Amino acid sequence: MAFLQVQNIKKSFDRTEVLKDISFSLEKGEVLAIIGSSGSGKTTLLRCINFLETPQAGKITVGGKVLFDSDDKSKKSDLEIRKNRLHFGMVFQSFNLFPQYTVFNNLILAPNLMAKEQIKQNGEYMGAKTYKEAQQKINEEAEALLKKVGLTEKRDEYPCNLSGGQQQRVAIARALALNPDVLCFDEPTSALDPELTGEVLNVIKGLKSSDSTMIVVTHEISFARDVADKVIFMADGVIEEEGTPQQVIENPQSPRTQSFLSRFNRFSD
Amino acid sequence: MDQFWNVTSQLLEGFGENCMLFGVTILVAIPLGLIISMGSMSKFFPLKAVTRTFVWIIRGTPLMLQLFTVFYVPPLLFDISFADRMTAAIIAFVINYAAYFSEIFRGGIEGIPKGQYEAGYVLGMKKSQVFFKVVLMQVIKRILPPMSNEIITLVKDTSLARVISVIEILRVAENFSKKGIIWPLFYTGAFFLIFCGALTILFRFLEKKLDYYKV
Ligand SMILES: Nc1ncnc2c1ncn2[C@@H]1O[C@H](COP(=O)(O)OP(=O)(O)O)[C@@H](O)[C@H]1O
Ligand SMILES: [Mg+2]
Repeated sequence: MAFLQVQNIKKSFDRTEVLKDISFSLEKGEVLAIIGSSGSGKTTLLRCINFLETPQAGKITVGGKVLFDSDDKSKKSDLEIRKNRLHFGMVFQSFNLFPQYTVFNNLILAPNLMAKEQIKQNGEYMGAKTYKEAQQKINEEAEALLKKVGLTEKRDEYPCNLSGGQQQRVAIARALALNPDVLCFDEPTSALDPELTGEVLNVIKGLKSSDSTMIVVTHEISFARDVADKVIFMADGVIEEEGTPQQVIENPQSPRTQSFLSRFNRFSD
Repeated sequence: MDQFWNVTSQLLEGFGENCMLFGVTILVAIPLGLIISMGSMSKFFPLKAVTRTFVWIIRGTPLMLQLFTVFYVPPLLFDISFADRMTAAIIAFVINYAAYFSEIFRGGIEGIPKGQYEAGYVLGMKKSQVFFKVVLMQVIKRILPPMSNEIITLVKDTSLARVISVIEILRVAENFSKKGIIWPLFYTGAFFLIFCGALTILFRFLEKKLDYYKV
């Protein structure tokens, strides 16, 4: 069984069916790129995976643990939903950093809250027995993450003083601070000026070499080709085509994939 | 000179009533306004409809009329009357300002982008943590300018309490003018100016304090 398994996800808003039976799987350490025209349901899919939306049908499994199953009618507690969410991280198109906190405090806010709660409940957070010990670990981890995204000098800046590219790199570090099993990106560079997309894509490339499992919704076709192990082309709420970058991007079989990609090829290369 | 100090001390006594009305209104109307704003943002339609109708009525009628209503209507309907006119004034002011504050709070809370909540949720935060740790400070920053406006208006509105014979500063000055001494009437302006000036400085200071980030 694959590390991440998404099975038969269906999601409608009122009467519009946005996701029509989506299934895919991903191995640990693999990168999945999702491409497709706007309105095809890519964001909704990521939101379902992060439990920001509840699908009407489907099943989501990570590492053998069922996190969502529409057949399971028992009502999930708030705590369960929050725990399930922690298997996933989410990087938004619009960064969504917390403006009133410094870069560093953006990174440690949620882990600190989590540590306080878990130590109270289980007497332990990621090996630390006291809150103080946990805080120290969280701080060290946050420093390391800032270094990883190349923003050590911006540690004490507020988000409003950073460029879009820097903000998005902070958002990536913030998501990583909770050690998610799968990190999701929703068009991480779409809100950026073209000259800033490179720095963010490079950070994501860097994560691939450190074995993070990632799902990246993107319009950067050449990035998808270079970095992804697997590519999905979505159209109107279905997976129209799926395979390796060579199969889907270099050699698309479906006419819809072909016409979508031809629009991009006109500009690149 | 004697007359000046005599007038000043009497006006000050009157202004004490204004300050009291101001202070109690602030203390009670802010939390009450928060509760009303929750009602007007509720997903439970009847509650939302009732709260919004209430806010519409309070904002759509003169405060002076509300003062008369609170003061005269209960004694007509029931066998009660206000032992203290100030109590009636406080009730009317609290209701009126709570309605205004609730709209400011609602605007402030609804103005926070959905993405801020979602960023908190995907990081495993509880709803209450998202509200208190993420949203609240942003709401405070957003509502500070409209709140300072409203609070400064409240200072001046307190003089309306004279219509139900609360002996506040303008009432005191009016009594002098009936005796042919006109100048205290204009002298009252100094009291309001100083109070509002102090508040303006305070709010400017608070806004400066929150200047380090943008929402
Ligand atoms: N909360 C919502 N309510 C109603 N319709 C929605 C909602 N979210 C998304 N949709 C609709 O779902 C479709 C897919 O949207 P989305 O997942 O954002 O696509 P993409 O990210 O591929 O551009 C669109 O037609 C959009 O209008
Ligand atoms: Mg989208």
